[in-house]
Amino acid sequence: MTNEPVNRLELRGVTKAFPGVIANDTVSFAVKPGEIHALLGENGAGKSTLVKMIYGIMQPDSGEILLNDQVQYIPNPKAARGMGVGMVFQHFSLFEAMTVLENIALGLDDNISHAELERRIADVLHEYGLSLDPHRIVSTLSVGERQRIEIVRALLLNPRLLIMDEPTSVLTPQEVGQLFETLRALSKSGCSILYISHKLHEIQELCEAATILRGGKVVGECDPKKESSRSMAEMMIGASLKSVEKDGGRKFGDAKFVVTSLTLPGEGDFGVPLNDISFTVRAGEIFGIAGVAGNGQNELLLALSGEVTSDTGDAVMLDGEPIGAHGTTPRRFVGLCAVPEERNGHGAVPDFTLCDNAILTARNRKNMVNYGVINSSIAMGYTEDVIEKFSVKTTGPTSTAGSLSGGNLQKYIMGREIMQTPEVLVVSQPTWGVDAGAAAAIHQALVDLAEGGSAIVVISQDLDELLAICDHMAVINEGRLSKTHNVGEVSIDEIGLLMGGVHGDPFATAEMTEAVHAH
Amino acid sequence: MLIELTKRKEPSRQMLYLTPVIAVVLTMITGGIIFTLLGYNGAGAVWEIFIKPVINPEKWQDLGVKAAPLILIGVGLSIGFRANVWNIGAEGQYVVGGLAGTGVALLTWEMEGWWILPLMCVGGFIGGAAYAAIPAFLRTKLKVNEILSSLMLTYVSVQLLYYLMRGPWKDPEGFNFPQTRLFNDSQILPTLTEDTIIHMGVPLAFLIALVAWFVMSKTVFGFQVRVVGAAPHAARYGGFDENRTIWLALLMGGGLAGLAGTFEAAGPFGQMVPQFPTGYGFTAIIVAFLGRLHPLGIIGGGLILAISYVGGEGAQTSIGLPNAATGIFQAMMLFFLLATDILINYRLKIGEASAEAAQ
Amino acid sequence: MNDAIIISIVMTVVGAATPILLAALGELIVEKSGVLNLGVEGMMLIGAVTGFAVTSVTGVPMIGVFCAMIAATCAALLFGYLTLTLSSNQVATGLALTIFGIGLSSLAGEGYVGKTIDIYASVFPAGLAEHSFFRVIFGYSPIVYFSFFMTFMVAWFLKRTRAGLILRAVGESAGSAHSIGYSVVGVRYAAVAFGGAMAGVGGCYYSMVLTPMWAEELTAGRGWIALALVVFAAWRPGRLLLGAYLFGAVMTFELHAKAAGFSLVAPEFLAAMPYIATIVVLALISLRKSAGAKAPACLAQPFKAST
Repeated sequence: MTNEPVNRLELRGVTKAFPGVIANDTVSFAVKPGEIHALLGENGAGKSTLVKMIYGIMQPDSGEILLNDQVQYIPNPKAARGMGVGMVFQHFSLFEAMTVLENIALGLDDNISHAELERRIADVLHEYGLSLDPHRIVSTLSVGERQRIEIVRALLLNPRLLIMDEPTSVLTPQEVGQLFETLRALSKSGCSILYISHKLHEIQELCEAATILRGGKVVGECDPKKESSRSMAEMMIGASLKSVEKDGGRKFGDAKFVVTSLTLPGEGDFGVPLNDISFTVRAGEIFGIAGVAGNGQNELLLALSGEVTSDTGDAVMLDGEPIGAHGTTPRRFVGLCAVPEERNGHGAVPDFTLCDNAILTARNRKNMVNYGVINSSIAMGYTEDVIEKFSVKTTGPTSTAGSLSGGNLQKYIMGREIMQTPEVLVVSQPTWGVDAGAAAAIHQALVDLAEGGSAIVVISQDLDELLAICDHMAVINEGRLSKTHNVGEVSIDEIGLLMGGVHGDPFATAEMTEAVHAH
Repeated sequence: MLIELTKRKEPSRQMLYLTPVIAVVLTMITGGIIFTLLGYNGAGAVWEIFIKPVINPEKWQDLGVKAAPLILIGVGLSIGFRANVWNIGAEGQYVVGGLAGTGVALLTWEMEGWWILPLMCVGGFIGGAAYAAIPAFLRTKLKVNEILSSLMLTYVSVQLLYYLMRGPWKDPEGFNFPQTRLFNDSQILPTLTEDTIIHMGVPLAFLIALVAWFVMSKTVFGFQVRVVGAAPHAARYGGFDENRTIWLALLMGGGLAGLAGTFEAAGPFGQMVPQFPTGYGFTAIIVAFLGRLHPLGIIGGGLILAISYVGGEGAQTSIGLPNAATGIFQAMMLFFLLATDILINYRLKIGEASAEAAQ
Repeated sequence: MNDAIIISIVMTVVGAATPILLAALGELIVEKSGVLNLGVEGMMLIGAVTGFAVTSVTGVPMIGVFCAMIAATCAALLFGYLTLTLSSNQVATGLALTIFGIGLSSLAGEGYVGKTIDIYASVFPAGLAEHSFFRVIFGYSPIVYFSFFMTFMVAWFLKRTRAGLILRAVGESAGSAHSIGYSVVGVRYAAVAFGGAMAGVGGCYYSMVLTPMWAEELTAGRGWIALALVVFAAWRPGRLLLGAYLFGAVMTFELHAKAAGFSLVAPEFLAAMPYIATIVVLALISLRKSAGAKAPACLAQPFKAST
């Protein structure tokens, strides 16, 4: 290529403030043509705000954004696309009830006929070796396929800079491999890629340069291939990593929480039916359930917490007592507490105070109710205890749950359940969107609870997390649960294949791996 | 110059209580201007509608009598609105409740006794609740939107009233007028003292509002209603059944509207007539919002709307303001309240436009 | 039954169906964009009184219809400002708009109560509609043909145009549409304005063609039936047409039952029929489980871009 610019993208002193927080503070860095550049940082470090400004969704308060060495004002995403910037969002910007074709058409700025568009989509799919049916309705597609829509939508515009926001958080390890091949092919054609992630091993595998953000500021630049994971992690967190303290030679007690042949129909149009799920958790044990999003994790949590009840009480047993037909309140009485994946509107009511949110689930176990009347002083006392023991950053028990940051709210919710000293605790995505410090605290609290003799079930998409804290684990795929594996004896590849739906032979052939992708 | 809104970190509690006042003041100012432009005496209209009933002690009894049904219905509706149940057919429940109370009265018209009035009230409550049970059933079993079903039932209830007045319940000694016989002394709500028009229903309405305040703010039932409305998934997680809450909210709303209907029939009307539906059920929606869906606030909201009714009637005779003007003032109050509600979550800044605000 | 009766039945059904079809078409577009405007009844009344008043002053029905559209659109934009710019609760704001419309129309129409206007406008040569059978086809107000034309246009717009695709996208996922770069609030303002204009035409059809006179609360809850019709039609214009004529038939049943000497049932029951039918129909369609009969995913959810 002739006349290539020096830098595809350059940021000079970009600053953006929101009420009460400076999201980006004089951020400067540059991305060369064809470079795969990592933007590394914890949740809340300001990565998302930064890319939203590059893509024109927001505008900086001060500082300059240069594209191809030219200072640009990017008023909206359409202008960004016109300048050759494409973006693949972490939370997909897709329309569930529409077809793939309509979704892609919406992402383009020109009005082209559907026949012409279909031809162009076929070209792009062919060029990068991807498969996608343009006439399917999005809601029927897997997460990996949905991401492909976003990628095709971006590629159709021949971008010179592609922004990928946490693209692998929802993919199986095999799907990640395929995505990386696509990105490398793209980079060879001269397109720069700004790759946002907090997963260090992926960045080491894929990226040539990295900029590290912390608290809205650039705290370092490095070549990830030359750094160790640990050194990058410490730059990212700004402190030395604290690993979870887990007693190696722990003994498990009797079977405490037994699920037998749990089968439930899916709720609504998009619900995943649960099919013959069985597992056992002993006292003192942490049991992990891995899987790609949308394979029945939500349904399983609802069935375990009691939000959805089973016809047969025997399907769920706690200390030998059948509780499968009980709702959440009687389950809490016998000692089963749960934390759902979604914090806002499920685990907590954003408009309610923290104290009211304590009443929501702790009112019976903590004796906050007499003859139907709420004793607010007990509720306040309990809320204060949770805030103190779990170091929740807040102005007090009367501030609303919605005013807390994601990590703090998660700490509060976990604390609220753990301090009820449940016999069994079921948690989904305990550290999703939570910064490393809070995540470590939550992991430690779970391990401590287990050591006190409780049985714990952790449902998570984050394999690293499960491998770090669990004793045993299984994989959920399309509403079925695999057999239980011993953590420490199972390989990532094996888990990855199970996540993709290949059961049985752990050393699946290449053909089977292909089948997973085509699925 | 541009108006810029910035989000508050926490909703402002001051604004929560201040915006109803701001809305009433803005209504008075804007209403005065509009009616002046329309060729009426705008300042006079505001004076007659909002100020005169307050400073004229002769009107205070009227205010109490008008406010009582508004407060009762408003409190009932607020329970529903809090639970995200949009029962807008309170007018129909009020009519059916009135009819049920009347039915008891007609069955007992030759009897006497202290038990008749309470029986009428129970009948009215059950009648209104039963009528609200229809949208509750449709919503919980068939997912039919309660906004449309409850409103349609209001139109049906009016036809039911006409049918009963022209047919089976017509006063046999009433010269063929479409109305029931007059209630007897055991069926009329007694007044507080001999020389007042304030009947027993008025203090009862205030008392019920106080009870509702306790229930809504201090008990698990009130908590349940609030959680279901604010976050249905969290409610299920907390062990509260959404359908049960919808039922309870609609039955309470319908029951209180029905009770208000019986109070009106056994109070100011003293019989049942085709002119019974006067729109209290719709005005109570404004009362509930103006009162911030809070029973104590609703007492205030009910009084303000009562003022506008009493004042509107006065303005018709004194300055020839049309009857419809009252409705416009009432709707404006709701508009301004909804508009200023943004101040609860956002801070208003008036100043030079920044680059961002120009977007 | 002779021809004359059949013709009169057909014509009254058309008369009853047209205004709710128009208002429902407007609301369908509004709801497709993710907004629930419960103020249809109020906007129809504002349109009705404006159309009647302007026509009786100017004597030109076209100007009357035009002003009815403008007035109802202004009312819709007031709703839009509150719900879209100030993010107020859509249900409450729609109710406020209806209460406001009832008050405003009775205030503005005070001097016109009981008056009538005599207009005759036809799109076809007068001779065509003289024969009784041709009257069934050619004998209507231009607004009737306009309602058919608009049904087709709305269907075409939603299915075939890019603007229609964007409108549906905004109603389906406002967040996604915003992050791709569409102006959610802008699209919704346009939809709300269109809904107002259509309700205005529907309203003035009552006062200018159907009755033709002005009375307080002339539309008697037909705006609410239009709202129910959108649900009944599962947000599809074709089914809206079918539903409107079905409702038109039910609404005129009272009239024809009386004419046919059908006196076994109380007249009050017949008057309540359209409302009971609406509830029954809403209950029946909820029993039917068909894919695609779904409300737009973002219906009645406020959207505020965080900048």
